[in-house]
Order: sequence, then C-alpha cells, then structure tokens
Amino acid sequence: MSKPKIAIFDFACCEGCQLQIVNLEEELLDLLGGADVVEWREAMSEKCDEYDIAIIEGSITRLEDEERLKLIRSRAKILIALGACATIGGINKLKNNFDDLDEVKKCVYGKDANKPHLATQPTKAVDEVVQVDAYVHGCPIDRKEFTYIMRCLLMGKEPEIPEYPVCVECKAKGNPCLWEYGQVCLGPIIRAGCGARCPSNGFRCFGCRGYIDNPNVDAAKDVIDKFGLNIDDLKTKMVLFGSRQEPTIHG
Amino acid sequence: MCQCCAEKKDIYLPELATVMDAKAMNVTERYLRLAMDDGPFDFVPGQFVEVSVAGIGEAPITISSSPTQNGGFELVVRKVGNVTKAIHNLNKGDKLGIRGPLGDGMYPVDEAKGKNVVFICGGIGLVPQRSFVNYVLDNRDDYGEVTILQGTKEYDQRLFTDEVAAWDKRDDVQMLETIDLPDKRWKSNVGVVTKLIPMIKSELKSAVVLVCGPPVMYKFVLMSLEEHEVPHENIFLNLERKMKCGVGKCGHCQINSTYTCMDGPVFRYSDLATMPEAI
Amino acid sequence: MSVKKIAKKDFVEFVETLIRKERVFGVQAKGDRFDFAPLESAQDLRLDYDVTLQPPKKFFQPPAEVLMTFEVGGGYQSQYDDEPFVLLGVHPYDMVAINQMDELFSQDNYDTHYMTRRNNATIVACDVAKPSENVFASSMGTAVVKSGYDVLLTDIGDSYVCEAATEKGEKLMAAAKKAVPADDAALKSREAVWAKNKKGLNRHELKCDPAYLPKLLAKAYKHPVWEERAKTCFSCGSCNQVCPTCYCFNVQDDVNWDMKTGKRERAWDGCLLDGFTKVAGEHEFRKQRADRFRHRIYRKGMYVPEKIGGQIACVGCGRCVAACLPDIANPVAVYNRLIDDLGIG
Ligand SMILES: Cc1cc2nc3c(=O)[nH]c(=O)nc-3n(C[C@H](O)[C@H](O)[C@H](O)COP(=O)(O)OP(=O)(O)OC[C@H]3O[C@@H](n4cnc5c(N)ncnc54)[C@H](O)[C@@H]3O)c2cc1C
Ligand code: SF4
Ligand code: SF4
Ligand code: SF4
Ligand code: SF4
Ligand code: SF4
Ligand code: FES
Repeated sequence: MSKPKIAIFDFACCEGCQLQIVNLEEELLDLLGGADVVEWREAMSEKCDEYDIAIIEGSITRLEDEERLKLIRSRAKILIALGACATIGGINKLKNNFDDLDEVKKCVYGKDANKPHLATQPTKAVDEVVQVDAYVHGCPIDRKEFTYIMRCLLMGKEPEIPEYPVCVECKAKGNPCLWEYGQVCLGPIIRAGCGARCPSNGFRCFGCRGYIDNPNVDAAKDVIDKFGLNIDDLKTKMVLFGSRQEPTIHG
Repeated sequence: MCQCCAEKKDIYLPELATVMDAKAMNVTERYLRLAMDDGPFDFVPGQFVEVSVAGIGEAPITISSSPTQNGGFELVVRKVGNVTKAIHNLNKGDKLGIRGPLGDGMYPVDEAKGKNVVFICGGIGLVPQRSFVNYVLDNRDDYGEVTILQGTKEYDQRLFTDEVAAWDKRDDVQMLETIDLPDKRWKSNVGVVTKLIPMIKSELKSAVVLVCGPPVMYKFVLMSLEEHEVPHENIFLNLERKMKCGVGKCGHCQINSTYTCMDGPVFRYSDLATMPEAI
Repeated sequence: MSVKKIAKKDFVEFVETLIRKERVFGVQAKGDRFDFAPLESAQDLRLDYDVTLQPPKKFFQPPAEVLMTFEVGGGYQSQYDDEPFVLLGVHPYDMVAINQMDELFSQDNYDTHYMTRRNNATIVACDVAKPSENVFASSMGTAVVKSGYDVLLTDIGDSYVCEAATEKGEKLMAAAKKAVPADDAALKSREAVWAKNKKGLNRHELKCDPAYLPKLLAKAYKHPVWEERAKTCFSCGSCNQVCPTCYCFNVQDDVNWDMKTGKRERAWDGCLLDGFTKVAGEHEFRKQRADRFRHRIYRKGMYVPEKIGGQIACVGCGRCVAACLPDIANPVAVYNRLIDDLGIG
C-alpha cells in the first residue's frame, strides 16, 4: 500500500491548531512515517492536487473561501474539520451575534484581535459548506485525540468520539466540581474528548468542543437557580462557542 | 498476575481462528467459515461468538451453522460499522480472534423434540435460525412437522437461496417465503412475514415457535401467534442488544435485570413477562 | 485474629515505616476535599476525612486500563497490573461496596483483571470519624463493616483500635511494634463509635428497611417520579462515575503508529449516558432520559441485589447526591417519594 497523502488547508483561524500538530514533535514523525503530507503552509510549501485526507482548519468567512473548500472536497477522499473554527465555526462565529466585536475580540484573541479575517461576512463551520467525514474538536485541538483520529483514519476505521459530556472525564479524573466554587462550568452539555482539560486546571469549561448531541439546556437553567446565579451568567458563557448551535438558553 | 488468577483464564482474551472460506452473499452480507487454531469448538444452536479484529474491536455474531455439520463453524455478517466492515475485508487464510461460544439462552433443541417446530425469520434473522433449522433437519426423526417462514424486504437481500430452495424441495418441510417490496423476478408471496402465519399447515398450538428478526417484527408476530393461541412458554425469541464484554460484566446488554449475553440471546417469551424493556 | 491498640503518634511512625517498604495509597486532602492518592508522608494521611471525591474502586477498576495488547492479524496477550499495594483509610460503606464488587467480578465469569488488583491489595479500613454532608450509610446498614478488610482502624480519641482480620492484616500490623493488645476500655470505646455511627451517618433518612427496596421497586416501574426527575437530567453520568458500586465499562481498541501492534482498553462507562444502549443503525434501547434514570435506581435497588444475595447495591456514600448538579440523583429522595405514594407492604 502506498502512503496516503494528507493535505492541510487553513481558512479563517489563528492557526493555533496547526501549531498543536507541529508541536507533536516525535509523534509528528510517526504520522509522517505513515503518510505523506503534501500541502501544508505552516510546515512546507509544496502544492498538490490529489489527496487521500484533507484537513481543514478554520471557519469559512468569504465567498471565495467557499469555492476553494468545495474544490478541496472534490479532490479529497476523506475530509477532516480541525479545531473549533472548522467544527463549529469557533470564535469567529461571535461576530454573528454581536454588534460591537472589539471587546470580545480583545478578550479572545488578545493581541491577534485585529487580524483582517475577523471582519467579513457571516461565518460558517466547514460542514455548513461541504460534507465532513471526521471532526477534531476543540480550541485548540487535543493532540492526543488528533493522533488517535489520524491512526483510526489511516486504518480505515471511524474514530469513536465521545457522545457524552465533559463531566464524565472530569469525574474520572477525580476533580471537585467547579460549580461548588461558584464557577459556571459548561461541562454537562459540552462534548468530552479533551480529558476535561479546563476543569482539571481549575478553569470552567467554556464549551470549545461544542454541544453533545442532545444537551439538556433546561436543566442548566435549574442548576443556575440552585446555585443562586443569574441566567445571564450562563448566557454569556454559552455564547462564546454556542452561538451557532441550536439549543440556546431562553429566559 | 496473582497466583489465584494464574489458574483462571482471561475471559476477555480472544483465541485465534482462521478463515477457511469467505464470500460475499450480497452487497451487505458476507459469509465466513472459520476454524479455531487450537482445540475443538462445541456449541449449541443459538449461541454466539465475540469476533475480534485487532485494532478495530469486537462484535457479537451468532453462529449460523449447525453443530451437526463438521469443518468449522459459519458466520454471516452484515456490514454496519467498524468491526463488521473490517470482517468484510477478511479472506481465506486470514486470522481473527474468537471468544465463545457465549450465551446460555440457546435454542430448545431437546425440549422441541417430538413437537412441531416453526421458524419465523425476518431478513437477517434467518442467519441464527439456520443453525437450528439444520440441526433439526440433521436429526429429522426427532422432531414433528417442520415449518420455515422467511420474510425479506427486497429480492436482492435474500440469503442462502440455494439452501432455502433445497428446504423447499423436501417433502418433510413446509417452506414459505415472502418479499415485502418485490420486483419482476419474484413470483411468490408478497408482504410481511406475518402474512405467512395463517398458511402454516401443521398444528401451531402445540408447536415450538422460534422467532428472529428486526425489533419491529416481534410485536406483529407475537400478536398473530396470540390469535393462534400459541402458549407463551412455547415461543422463543432471539433478542439483540448492544454488547461489549459478552460475559455479563459491562452492563450494556441489560434488559432490566437480565443480561442478554448471559441469559440470552434466545429467550422464552413467558420469561419476558418480568422484562418490560424486552420488546 | 488480633485486636490491638496503638497511640496516634506511634501510628504515624508505623505508617512512615510502611511507606518505606510498600506501595501505599491513603486518604489525603485535595484542596478543601479529600481523595485517595499515593502516600508520600504519614503526615499527609487524613483518617479524619468525611468522604473522598472518588470511591476506592479506581484501585481495582481504574478509569481506564489496558486489558491486552495485540498484533494485527496475530495473537492477543493479556496485560496485568500485579504490583501489591496497601490502601489506607477505606470507610465502611466503601468497604461494603468493594465486597459487592468482589462478588460481581468473581461470580459466573471470573474477571482476572479486577481480581488480580484486588488480590494484591491490603486494605486498611477505618471507621468514620466525621460524617460527610450527604452520607446515609446508617439508613443502608453500611455504617459499620464486618468483613472484607485486612485491618480495621477505629479512632477512639488518642489512639486507634486496630483489628487485623486476615493473615495479610496480621503481617502488616506486625510492623506496628508499639501496638499493644486492646484492653476492655478500648474495645468499649470502639463499640461506642460503632453505636454512634449506626445512627449518626444519616443525612438522608430512608423511610424503610433497605431489604424492602426490591419489593418497593417491583411496583414502581410506571411511577411518574422517573419522568419528573429525569426532566432536568443532564445525562452527564456523574452519578455513575462517583458511585462505588457502578462498574459498567466500555471497551475500545487503539493501534500504535506502526499500525501493527496495539492495545485493547476498557474504561468506565455509565448507564445514564446517551448512547449506552445504542446499536449500529442508531437504534437505542433506553433512549429516554427517564428510562436511563430509572435503570440506575433499579440497578442499585433491585437488579444487582438479585445477583448478590439481596444486598442493596447503594451503600449510602452520598457521592451521587453531591455530584448531581440538578439535584435529582439522591436515591433516598426517590425511594421515599415512592414510599409516600405507594406505601410499605
Ligand atoms: C447476540 C447477537 C448476535 C448477533 N448476530 C449477528 C449476526 O449473526 N450477523 C450480523 O451481521 N450481526 C449480528 N449481530 C449484530 C452485530 O453484533 C452488530 O451489527 C455489530 O456489533 C456492529 O458492530 P460494528 O463495530 O460494525 O458497528 P459500530 O456501530 O461501529 O459498533 C461499535 C460497537 O458497538 C456494539 N454494537 C453496535 N451495534 C450492535 C448490535 N446491533 N448488537 C450488539 N452490539 C452492537 C459492538 O460492541 C460494536 O463493536 C448480533 C448481535 C447480537 C447482540
Ligand atoms: S480552533 Fe482555536 S486554536 Fe484552533 S485555529 Fe481555531 S481559534 Fe485557533
Ligand atoms: S467542573 Fe464542570 S466538567 Fe467538571 S463535573 Fe463540574 S460541571 Fe462537570
Ligand atoms: S474543558 Fe471545555 S473548554 Fe476546556 S478544552 Fe474541554 S471542551 Fe474545551
Ligand atoms: S448510589 Fe449514590 S449514594 Fe448510593 S452508593 Fe452510589 S454514589 Fe453512593
Ligand atoms: S442524575 Fe444527575 S448526575 Fe446523574 S446523569 Fe442525571 S444530571 Fe447527571
Ligand atoms: S455484553 Fe457486557 S454484560 Fe452483556
């Protein structure tokens, strides 16, 4: 069997996820041993028009990007959405919800806030434009999960991505629940797979992996009451990554 | 491993088997004949094995051949997900892992002796039933009248057509087949399998009835059997549940308090009275 | 077997020697909570804890463990974790849970992976010195424990009564050179602790004898409580994860980068999680939150008891009560509600 060809493309994003791949170091060599990377601006410059696996990073913000993405799709056997920007529209989706972006941009991107691709038309996740075969969730992605998914795809296996929420991994790690310390953690409604990265470090989950398939947002309202918090606390927390997705908090 | 465990075998560890024969039956089903690399393989119709493809996972698959037939055992696998897809890639000479035979809920091979036996199969439900059908036919004198009903959705999905034709030719078997959505090639009964039940020639009331098919089929078949006054004790259903361990630990296959992998997959209908989740 | 008494300061010394010789895990502070963790200094051991974040089941059935390694197209090789260890500070209710798990993993099909860890453990149990916020062990008859441990410690003020119940326990305690045979007064004090705990570990009071629960549930299958409570269930599985008697698991394969070798792992699963019963083709047998919520309560109060001689598989540790954000998981609240509606008898 000849080595499968992998191509990586970036659209509107901070490229933080590609950085995660570059940071794989040793494992990156393993990946390169099992596959040929044919297009990857971050790491190399060669161009190629056929690939077994196309990895898409970033969200789709311009019409010409949509065309480019459709072209990539037509040339790729498997298409992967990499990172929250690509899987759920990511932070870029914020601009669909807010009139005044500056504050949010600053809070999210820090010094990157003025990147030009953040000021355009409605943002789309990759699967709003083309069919996606595999999702690598997260902002940034989890390296361990990324390599697992790549190995699965190279074996011709559909990766098993958790359908359950972050709390499962959080509890498996033996963390105390941050709600009891006054933090509005989105763990119960957000898809696991990151190893409960944030709560394990004392920070609430802010939902970068997107909702589970069937989140109970009504329950979230009850919990807010129980802990004596305001519903707006949850709304602002949800909006960061939840803006694109259907179940939004009302009330 | 500790001393006391050293004497016990690892219930999760597959043993190696070799594919003796493999062929596509149609687009979605693949037939495999396997032989264990070490030792004999004794089973009773209705039992299943956990088929293991290293790197992909395990899937429970019922043994489709009868223990009365020599030369390994047969499986028929429908391609639906990771493991079954990987099984479809196996060819003659390939190795795979097997755990089993598993499941204490088997077909009532002894209890049915001397009685009429009726098999009601929907689609791929023929695959597990075939084990007992052939067992009965290989011990034909031990059993009463034999009736086989097979319902299939579309013509191209029919399984074991040669075997079914051979059963049809026998004068000691009543073989009835129907197709739900037939095309020009089909000249026989049309509709769902329950339509065949009134056509059964042998006495149903005293028969042992074995049912296997998709979950939706059971309700209608049971309703019809109720009309024919078949006692619940004489009806046996093959139930499917998600399985992981196959040995009564992981909890996935539970129907109320019952473990399908241990007490099934074949259940006596009257025993399901305490299992509201069953059907 | 012997019952001794050891002064607290001598006990610290004993633990210190133990740490030097063996792999020891003990209860320690974790922020303002407690948990079992590798013990590096006897000073860190906190036998005055209320409840640990995770139950000790993780030492026998870890959150994730390798069952075997394999070669693609080749053979499978069992993997075992067989390093002996000492577990310090298991509360009676958790000990009862371990006893139940022992039974479940060894009956019918003997699980060599669980049992290897279990047989390599020396368990030092200790009576509860400070009740946790949600404990209801008194209601469940698990406030004191009579078997399963190798050593049982009871805090009687300035010293511990330590009862060695097995060979392993005797051997362990032999290193406690300053322990003396327990006198009558010490034994009396221990009785007093037991008597107190039998009543006092009861933040939620079950309105019936636990032995009645299977009968209660037998008539509660269609009760509205399942729907009512499950309305706000996140299906987050927290109640499963923190429970000392939940042992459902998932099994998954992973390959190494050579694409030729790999491992089969099992990991904690939970019957409350969406997808737990989902088969290929998207059919899900317990699709509704209420179905899954009910299943857990039935498992604790009826299904598992059928397998372990009638013992109720909720030991009243109260962890699920604390872990459930919408506050619906409390088994006592469910049972009492059913008793109110359906009566006893
Ligand atoms: C007792 C029994 C006998 C069976 N006999 C046959 C047979 O003879 N032929 C056949 O084609 N199929 C049979 N099945 C169904 C077969 O087990 C599933 O189609 C198969 O497990 C799907 O696995 P997958 O990896 O391809 O799919 P995925 O969707 O990738 O499933 C992942 C895992 O979930 C579990 N799982 C998913 N679906 C099922 C299911 N329907 N039943 C049990 N576990 C499931 C398995 O552990 C599987 O490995 C049987 C099922 C049971 C319970
Ligand atoms: S998902 Fe996050 S880290 Fe990855 S590219 Fe987008 S913004 Fe950057
Ligand atoms: S901290 Fe967050 S993820 Fe962890 S258990 Fe609490 S809600 Fe769930
Ligand atoms: S804990 Fe939440 S925010 Fe943090 S990485 Fe995981 S999904 Fe993203
Ligand atoms: S059900 Fe709750 S209280 Fe009972 S043992 Fe489990 S976690 Fe503890
Ligand atoms: S009962 Fe509570 S802890 Fe359990 S799954 Fe539902 S919300 Fe989570
Ligand atoms: S499949 Fe694991 S308990 Fe039945």
